[in-house]
This record gives sequence, C-alpha cells and structure tokens, in this order.
Amino acid sequence: MMILLILSLSVKAFDTPNDGGGSITIEVVGLNGDLKNGYVYRNSMEDTTFELRGLISRTSYKYVDDGAENGKEYLYKVELEFDDTTLTLFTGPVSAKAQWYDPTRTSVLIFLIIFSGFVLWFIQLARKNPEGLFIRKIPALDAIDEAVGRSTEMGKPTFFIHGLSGITDAGTLAALTILRRVSSKVAEYETPLIVTNYDPIVMAASSETVKQAYAEVGKIDNFNEKNIVYLTYEQFGYTAGVDGLMIRENPGAVFLQGYFYAESLILAETGHSVGAIQIAGTTAATQLPFFIAACDYVLIGEETLAASSYIGREPVMLGSVKGSDYGKLFIMIFIGIGVIFATIATILNIKGNSILMNAFNTFMGWL
Amino acid sequence: MNISTDIWVWIAALLTLFIYSFLYKDNPFYKFAEHLFIGIGVGYTTVLLWFNSVIPKLWNPLVHGTSPMRFFLIIPILIGALMFSIFSKKNNWLIRIPIAIYIGAGSGLAIPLDFEGLIFEQVKGTILTKSMFNSFIVGFSSIVLFIGVIATLVYFYFSKEHKGFVGKTARVGIFYIMIAFGASFGYTVMARVSLLIGRMQFLLHNWLGIIK
Amino acid sequence: MLQRRIPLLITFLTGVIIVITFFIPHPPFGKLQDDALVWYSIILGFSMLIGVDSLLRFHYRRIARREKGFGFSFVFYAGFLACFITGIISEIKFGDAFAEGTSFRYLYDYILVPLQSTMFALLAFFVASASYRAFRARNFIATLLLITAVIVMLGRIPIGAKIPGITPLTDWILNYLQLGPARGIRIGIALGAISMSLRLILGIERTYLS
Repeated sequence: MMILLILSLSVKAFDTPNDGGGSITIEVVGLNGDLKNGYVYRNSMEDTTFELRGLISRTSYKYVDDGAENGKEYLYKVELEFDDTTLTLFTGPVSAKAQWYDPTRTSVLIFLIIFSGFVLWFIQLARKNPEGLFIRKIPALDAIDEAVGRSTEMGKPTFFIHGLSGITDAGTLAALTILRRVSSKVAEYETPLIVTNYDPIVMAASSETVKQAYAEVGKIDNFNEKNIVYLTYEQFGYTAGVDGLMIRENPGAVFLQGYFYAESLILAETGHSVGAIQIAGTTAATQLPFFIAACDYVLIGEETLAASSYIGREPVMLGSVKGSDYGKLFIMIFIGIGVIFATIATILNIKGNSILMNAFNTFMGWL
Repeated sequence: MNISTDIWVWIAALLTLFIYSFLYKDNPFYKFAEHLFIGIGVGYTTVLLWFNSVIPKLWNPLVHGTSPMRFFLIIPILIGALMFSIFSKKNNWLIRIPIAIYIGAGSGLAIPLDFEGLIFEQVKGTILTKSMFNSFIVGFSSIVLFIGVIATLVYFYFSKEHKGFVGKTARVGIFYIMIAFGASFGYTVMARVSLLIGRMQFLLHNWLGIIK
Repeated sequence: MLQRRIPLLITFLTGVIIVITFFIPHPPFGKLQDDALVWYSIILGFSMLIGVDSLLRFHYRRIARREKGFGFSFVFYAGFLACFITGIISEIKFGDAFAEGTSFRYLYDYILVPLQSTMFALLAFFVASASYRAFRARNFIATLLLITAVIVMLGRIPIGAKIPGITPLTDWILNYLQLGPARGIRIGIALGAISMSLRLILGIERTYLS
C-alpha cells in the first residue's frame, strides 16, 4: 500500500498565475485525505539550507509562497507526514513572475465593452435625434417641485438629508443632482434650505452645488453657507443631530437621498412626525422597505441613479439611460438563452451525450 | 433592588434616558445628549482616523520607513492640502481637483467590481439548471424566482412606457418588489425589538439591579 | 474654463487608469487599487479637519451671537475637547487609545457606546409606528406588503412556529419569492451605477463640478 502511495505522489511548483508576481504555488498531486501534516521548505539557488515557509493546506493540498522575489530561482522541499511514515519530495527550480494580463477577468472585459458600446451608441443617437428618446414617468422625481412648493406655502424650511456614503458612491452623486434641482426651486421661491452632511467632502460638494443653483437663478445674495451643515462622521451621532434639527426647524419638505443604513427609519419617522412631505431615494436595497413605509415618495434603487437624466432631460443623458436599459435587455436575453442551453444540454446528457453539458459548465465557470 | 454605585454606569444610564425622552418630545435633556453625542462623535472619529489611518499609513512610512517608494506618499498630502482651498475666496475652485480624483477613482473601481461581484453572481444564480429540478417544489420555486428576476428588471426598464405586455410584466414586477419589501420588513422587526431588550437589560440589571 | 476642464480631465485619466489596473496584475498597475484605498483614507483624514473646522465655527458663532440654545454649544465643545484630548493623551501614553483603563476608553464605553446603542434601540419604537401606518392596506400593493411582513414576522418567533406551515412558508418566501426581486434590484442598481460611472469618466455627468 505504502509503495503504491509513494509511486502515486508527486509535487509540483509553479509561478502563481494571473498575479503581480512575488508568489509561487506548491501543489501535491495524488493525495487522498491521509495527510497529517505537510511542511514546505524553500532554498534559493545561492543558499545551502532550506527554510520553513509554511504548511500544505489539508483541503486543497496547495501552499502559496508569497515571499518570492521575481526572477529569482528557488528549490522546494515538501515533507509529508502520514500516520506511519514521512515522505520528502523535491521540486524546482522555479521562479515567480508578474503577468501583464489576467485572463480570468476576460468575461468582465467583454461585458464592459458590450455595455459601454450600448451606452456610447445611444448617446450618439441621442445627439442626432434628441426627440426620439422616451423615459417613463418617475413619480418621486415629478413630486420634487410639489414638495418644495408645499413647504413654501406653509412658510417652512426644506430639509435635504444626505446619506452616509462618500462622494465616490453613485447614490451620493445622484443625490447631488437632486439637490441641484431642489436648490433651484428653493432659490426661486425664497424658501430656506438646510442641507445636512455626514461626510466633509460631500459637504464641500453640496455647498458648491447649492451656491451655483442660487447663482443661476440670480439670487446669490440669498445663499446662506451656514445652512450647509456638517454634523459628525458617526452614524447615530449624525442621526441624533438631524432629528434634533428636524424637530426644532419643523420643515415642510424633507428629502432623504443617498446611501442609508439602520438610521433610515429613525430619520424618516421623525420627518413624518413633524408633518413634512418626504421624498426618499436610496440604492440601499435593505432600507427601501422602511422608506416605503414612512415616506410619501420613494426612488427605488436605479430610479435614483436615473435622476440626473430625468431631471435635466438632456438628450445625451437620456441616451445613456437608454444604453443602460439595453444592457438590462441583454442580460434578460442572456439569462433566457442560458436557460434554453442548459435545458437542451440536460436532455442530451440524460441520453448519454455530455458535450453540451461540459461546454455549459465550462462557460459558467468562465463567467 | 441593587442600584449601581459606579458613577460611569449612572452616566450611561442617564444618557440612555435622555435619548429616550425624545420619544415624548424635544426637551433640554435630549438636546444635552444630542450635543454631547455630536461632540464626542467628532472627537472620536478624528482620533480614530488620525491614529489608525493617517499616522500608520502616512507619518510612519515617511518618517521611519526606508523604501524610496515611500516618497509617493507626498501625492496624497498634496491632494489633501488642496482640500483646504475651500477657505480661499479666490482659489476655492481648486477643491474640484481632489473631488475629481475621488470620483474618477471611485468610478473606475466601481465599473469592473459591479460586473464581477454583483451582475455575474446574480445572473449565474438565476440561470435554471438541472440541479434546480431535483424535486418538484425546488423546480417550481426556481421558476418563481426566475420570473421574479425578469419581471423586476422589466419594471426598471425606463425607455418604454408601461403599457401592453411590458406594462403587465412591470405590474407583476412591482408585486414581487412589494413582497420582497414586506419580507425584508418582517425579517428585521425582531432584530429591532431585541435592541430595545438590550437597553432595558442594561437599565434594569446593570443600573437598577431589579432583574438578575 | 480651465476650472472645469482640468477636473474633467483628471476624472477621465484617473477613471481609465483604475479600470485598466483591474485587468493588469503587473506592477505598478496591480497595486494601484490597493494604493488608491490607502491614499483615500489619508485624504479623508485631511478632509475631516474641514468638517471639524466647520462645526467648531458653527457653534462658536452660536455662542458669540447668543443664538437660541447657545448653551448647548458649550456641551458640544466639552464633548469634543474631552474626547480629542483624552484620545491624544491615551495614544501617546499607552500606545493605543483603546487600551483598557485609558480615559479615552471610559468615554467610549460609558458615553459613546450607550448613546449609540440607545439611538439604535429607538428603532423598536419607530418600526412599530411605521408598521401601524404602513399596514393599513390602502391598496392591493400595500396588502401584499402587509401579508408578507406578517407571515415572515410570525415565522421568526417561537409562538408563530406553532402555527402549522408558517415556518416552511417563511423559509420559502425568504429563499425564493423575495430573492427574485432582490436580485433584479441589485442587477438594476449595478447597471445604473456602471452607467453613471461611465458618464462621470467621460465627462457627460458634471454635477459634482457645479
């Protein structure tokens, strides 16, 4: 038995694929679960001694040596401990190197090219034929003017509450677009606007956005920088501060826009308790149910991201929304084709022909 | 009853009650707790950011490091310094530069990661395969899931008016979405109630010693 | 004009470089994403100072002008200075501000954590009031939300488990019925975010420049 085991075992060392270099993988082939311990030692061609690097994994039978120098050759010694024997195997020389392209990410590249193609194609079409683009009604965005108008009639301020994400989040950037629209309206109606911020960079961007909106309407003198409030970078400290402000200032309209976490319901309920009309929008899918329960209008996920196109109605922006829609259509068709292909492959596999099934499994692994 | 004699437990208990007083109405106790919370929150996050990020990632490598690559860290210092241009009336446009870097980097990171981490994983899980039909219930459920994904995607299709076949599918989509929201709501209710139980235990056990 | 062109060019170059680094593991590209995250946290430290300055000036103005509620601005200052100073002293003296027994740790354990936990615990009350309003079943869609929420709520508590069929129905709703729309929403958000990112990199979306 032991002789059979020895004959079936081998160890191989190779440059870890698809990485930036500095890594060599050692793999033991032919093991079947009897291994107690596997020690990996390394020696560079200039040394005489082997240094211990680590242990072979008992599930994958591999060890990844992350401390190799690119281009330098190494020898590896692997000591395999079984219940009643120890085997020593050698392999090498092997050296690490960096790869210029990671082929495991080809699927992302292909989809990126297809999707970007859709977006750019429709942007070009939009430039040539701006009238030909349609975007369905999004009630929450149509309600912005109504909300600010109602707040003005009641003689109350309007609140704009940013979420807890930074300027790099798509939802925050979409929130800035909506803030621009809200600021234009409050500047026109001369309603006070209070903008609360969690992130200092978002505060800087909000300040610029509101100021610009006031300037465009010709009422830059009415812009009050004090109303762009930075509270704190702590989740519930921010919530406590916003709640306190809402109770004291008693707004007529509240906009909750951006990425929220558990504090979403606290903010929305407080806004409801002061009688404000509330329009929420977030890409945080887990918080949407609470906004649906507590707010008058809700922008669900992607509707928030379409805000800039919807509000501005610029053909180029509408073109990008259309491109995104065609991306969605492509995914739906892709799923449909996948289902048909899987069904046919299954039927053929049952009949003894596994070519399509193997192809399907390979494709799903590549994706 | 075994009231705590630890001053810090009393402070924590009183602050807890001050916050809860908000449920009745705004009052000076809540205002005190709110302002203290914001002050301490700002102090805490500033200390945390500087000692956990700026000093180990910037100061230590620059001052105590030996690698010549460490001088690339001058770049985030310059970008950070540009943030202070917000205080200048003449040159405050310079703040757009760090914001542009943030947005460019954030957008560049988001594009491939959203494809790989979000879209591909969801698509792979939705394509119906043989293993999903191991039993009638699982097969039926997989079809229900599949219809849910397609109908929801149709609901978020902005370029076509929701009329006719598209309208009917979008309507099915909104039904599915509301079911999902109801499930999410119901799932988290118990977790929210358990938070209250936690605070009550602190007040009644740690502070007042009424319960064991 | 340059004030808009330069940031747009920077956004384009940064975005394209970061996208490319996703496909090229070879240094320096492969490391750029990790470096970008390190740089982000460093720059955030600087930008925090702007936020802190804004807050300090806001409360100083309140005190100087004796605005309504200005007394509480002293509470803000007291909290900020106490936490900031003890944080620095604890870090310098003990090497770790969070070490057991430091004054910063006391502030964290007995002031910040109770305040955070209590604000979080307010959700129990707000979820009850939101449920009361939301579950008045004004239309068919609201009814769907109500019924699903009630079933899942019952399925998650010991008493509900005694109702025949509730637990398997809850599991089925969570594992299949709600998973479809959850996936659809996530795909939609991801596509929307990618579309927005493309618009930003290409300079079509310029709101952040104002």
